[in-house]
Amino acid sequence: MRIAKKTSTLRAFSRLSMLLAGAGLAAAAWAAEPAPKDTTASNPLGGKAAPPATAKAAPGQPRQITWEELVPKDWDPAKEFKGMDLAALNDGDPRANELLMKMQEVSNNAPTNPAMNGADIKIPGFIVPLEEAKGEVTEFLLVPYFGACIHTPPPPANQILHVVTPKGAKFRAMDTVWVTGKLQTLRNDSMMGVSGYHVNATSVTKYAGGAK
Amino acid sequence: MRALFSIAWHSAWNRRFTLALTVFSIALSTFLLLGVERIRTELRENFASSVSGTDLIVGARTGSTQLLLYSVFRIGAATNNISWKSVQALAAHQGVDWVVPLSLGDSHRGFAVLATSPEYFTRFRYGDRQLLKLREGKPFSELFDAVVGAEVADKLGYHVGRKITLAHGSGELNTAEHADKPFTVVGVLARTGTPVDRTVHIGLEAMEAIHLEWVGGAPMPGVKIPAEQVRKFDLTPKNVTAALVGLKNRSAVFGVQRWISTYTGEPLMAILPGVALDELWSVIGIGENALLLMSALVALVSLAGLVSVVMAGLNERRRELAVLRAVGAGLRHVLALLALEGAMVTVLGVAFGVVMAVLGIALLSPWLQSQFGLTLSLSEPTLNEWLLMGSLLVAGWLASLLPGIRAYRLSLADGLSPRI
Amino acid sequence: MSTAPQGEASPLRVVLAVEALRFAWPGMKAPCIDIEAFRITAGESVFLHGPSGCGKSTLLSLLAGVLVADEGRVTLLGHDWSQLSGAARDRCRVAHVGYIFQQFNLLPYLSVLDNVLLPCRFSRRRASQAARSGSPREEAEHLLDQMGLDRNLWKRQAMQLSVGQQQRVAAARALIGQPEVVIADEPTSALDEDRREAFLDVLLTACAVNHSALVFVSHDQRIAQRFARHVLLPEINRAASAAMAVDA
Repeated sequence: MRIAKKTSTLRAFSRLSMLLAGAGLAAAAWAAEPAPKDTTASNPLGGKAAPPATAKAAPGQPRQITWEELVPKDWDPAKEFKGMDLAALNDGDPRANELLMKMQEVSNNAPTNPAMNGADIKIPGFIVPLEEAKGEVTEFLLVPYFGACIHTPPPPANQILHVVTPKGAKFRAMDTVWVTGKLQTLRNDSMMGVSGYHVNATSVTKYAGGAK
Repeated sequence: MRALFSIAWHSAWNRRFTLALTVFSIALSTFLLLGVERIRTELRENFASSVSGTDLIVGARTGSTQLLLYSVFRIGAATNNISWKSVQALAAHQGVDWVVPLSLGDSHRGFAVLATSPEYFTRFRYGDRQLLKLREGKPFSELFDAVVGAEVADKLGYHVGRKITLAHGSGELNTAEHADKPFTVVGVLARTGTPVDRTVHIGLEAMEAIHLEWVGGAPMPGVKIPAEQVRKFDLTPKNVTAALVGLKNRSAVFGVQRWISTYTGEPLMAILPGVALDELWSVIGIGENALLLMSALVALVSLAGLVSVVMAGLNERRRELAVLRAVGAGLRHVLALLALEGAMVTVLGVAFGVVMAVLGIALLSPWLQSQFGLTLSLSEPTLNEWLLMGSLLVAGWLASLLPGIRAYRLSLADGLSPRI
Repeated sequence: MSTAPQGEASPLRVVLAVEALRFAWPGMKAPCIDIEAFRITAGESVFLHGPSGCGKSTLLSLLAGVLVADEGRVTLLGHDWSQLSGAARDRCRVAHVGYIFQQFNLLPYLSVLDNVLLPCRFSRRRASQAARSGSPREEAEHLLDQMGLDRNLWKRQAMQLSVGQQQRVAAARALIGQPEVVIADEPTSALDEDRREAFLDVLLTACAVNHSALVFVSHDQRIAQRFARHVLLPEINRAASAAMAVDA
């Protein structure tokens, strides 16, 4: 399994800004543009440009969505940190760590977008396997960027899909796939209790870059 | 075509002793290829089915593969333990639903001893989210109760009520015994096909009890606390080897994992079993590929043997070919004849190889199960196995075109009067 | 396959014809066969003889379409060999020509009966000709009877028979399905005196019955008198002396 290489020193500032960037990506409404080739925080899947999600899909067909749509438009995680001068903090400053912890909490409790409940969607992402039987993954988490389990800060709670697929799919950790299925939002309590998105997948297919 | 078939068959039967060896070598390489492929897939399936429904495995900060191996598969050992305080903090975390602590280190007659909490029997799952079932007795409740896995019971002939003694450390040589504190088997687990079968399960307090007068891996000289008096002491475990964790919300796994790895109490790590398994497999994959490559080379060698045997015999068969030309066989018939012969030998070889593989699996299965805990099933061939057989057949047929072309050329040159 | 009219076999119908034939082995400058004209009519039995190296076997190969002339024409029942593809020549040959070698005529691992039936397996015409009075199998048995081969031997593997018996089986195979031409390349050279005479008896009788032309190559003069026509190859092959000099 290839894990995205990151700098070995975990500088508080860089982690903070990554969290902010991740939250900013989720919270900001921005027009879809052709994305650059390489995988970056703003274009997680890299490769050829994924086509912009259509506003309306044919009736009965799953709608292709982007990860941004999973975030409620009114969520602004950065508002608590407005006015703070991050540049003034040194690495190792205990306040920087506290800030980090707080950011992490905010991220873990990111709310779901109630408008998405019940939608038939199609979305690309990376697999983190949870259950496996007979060489096929039956339950997994879908995340928007590569290596989202060890080195990088975890995605906000509204950027993780808990997918169950009855048929089983032959994939390995960090494989890139298209997931098609019905999206459900769980109750909005959090503190990492009950929150998040659940998908009953009807199909999980290999992502080949571009539209499918 | 029927005529050619019959001629090819009779001709090959006439030379059956030389060809038999070729058939056997093709059979052997088929057996090898199928065997390696089957063991490969079954091994992965075995590993993958050893743990299910567990969101995180927590242990001391070693390596993810190492943690997975010793906590689930009882392979290797932990370098460090985690403190009971950390386990309690983990259980108190808001996102955590349940925690099953595991304590390893002792052994019983070659089988590992696992000390754990009673929740093990209600939370631990394997295979396709299956809970453990008891085929005899009940889970442990008293201090010196033990529950043994199916393999332990079968191999050592244990039933409920049997008294057993544990030994310190892992290994067959029981020099450091806890002979003064014997255990009673109160339950036998049904077979799971996982390392659970080869484990003796006891309670966490019992693990503490038998090590009361031990310090740093050896008993303190002169100190002997008899079994009846141990309850007077505080038997809460001080530390455990690892812990299995279930979350209220599976999507929260990254957050909890991050919390654990940044826990200030002591150096901890948490792994997602599925991801760690894939990492383990990417390493094992190298070995698997090497094995497959070797088997493929063996197949190549046996096909080369087929070609050389037939080629070498072609000179003697020039008369035979001339007779065939004289009775109306065209050059393409000569080519077809040789190709047909090679194809028949390959088909026979592959068929025998499949039979050998089936017999091999049937005979070796019980031994592999008891020695390595590896379950080999006699199910119908997988897609990969069909592909392997198919490519062998195709390769054999293509290889036998070589002597066919040579025969074609010889026949063309010889006409009806070969110069031999 | 043959477009030549069958009807009553006219004794003057030409089955094999050679015109201005020249042939040289690849790599050789001088031709080894140079024949102006040579004809064989239906039902004729020809004794073709000459010293070693005069090109007897080569001529047989040319007549049977195994080798193709460099110049000139060789026709079988009106078909020019050089006009046919390799596969077509094979088909034409098996349909109209029966061939007997000096030895090793049979597939050793097949039974006697299967050996005799071989041409019928490869040629529908031979098979249907053989089946005119019953099945090809019955025709094969009939021929073996004619050759004087004991019934017990029919199911035996060919390699279990003596040389003389094998030659007779070869003759039966050459004759099944009534081919228009039978070519025999020194078939008696490996047989002893008694067997030789017996073999010639059955072969000549059978050919006469089938009205097949017989081209019999041998260097043994003693059997020449049994044949209607004698051809000394060096007399018609202008390249014979040159070929012999090369071979020597």
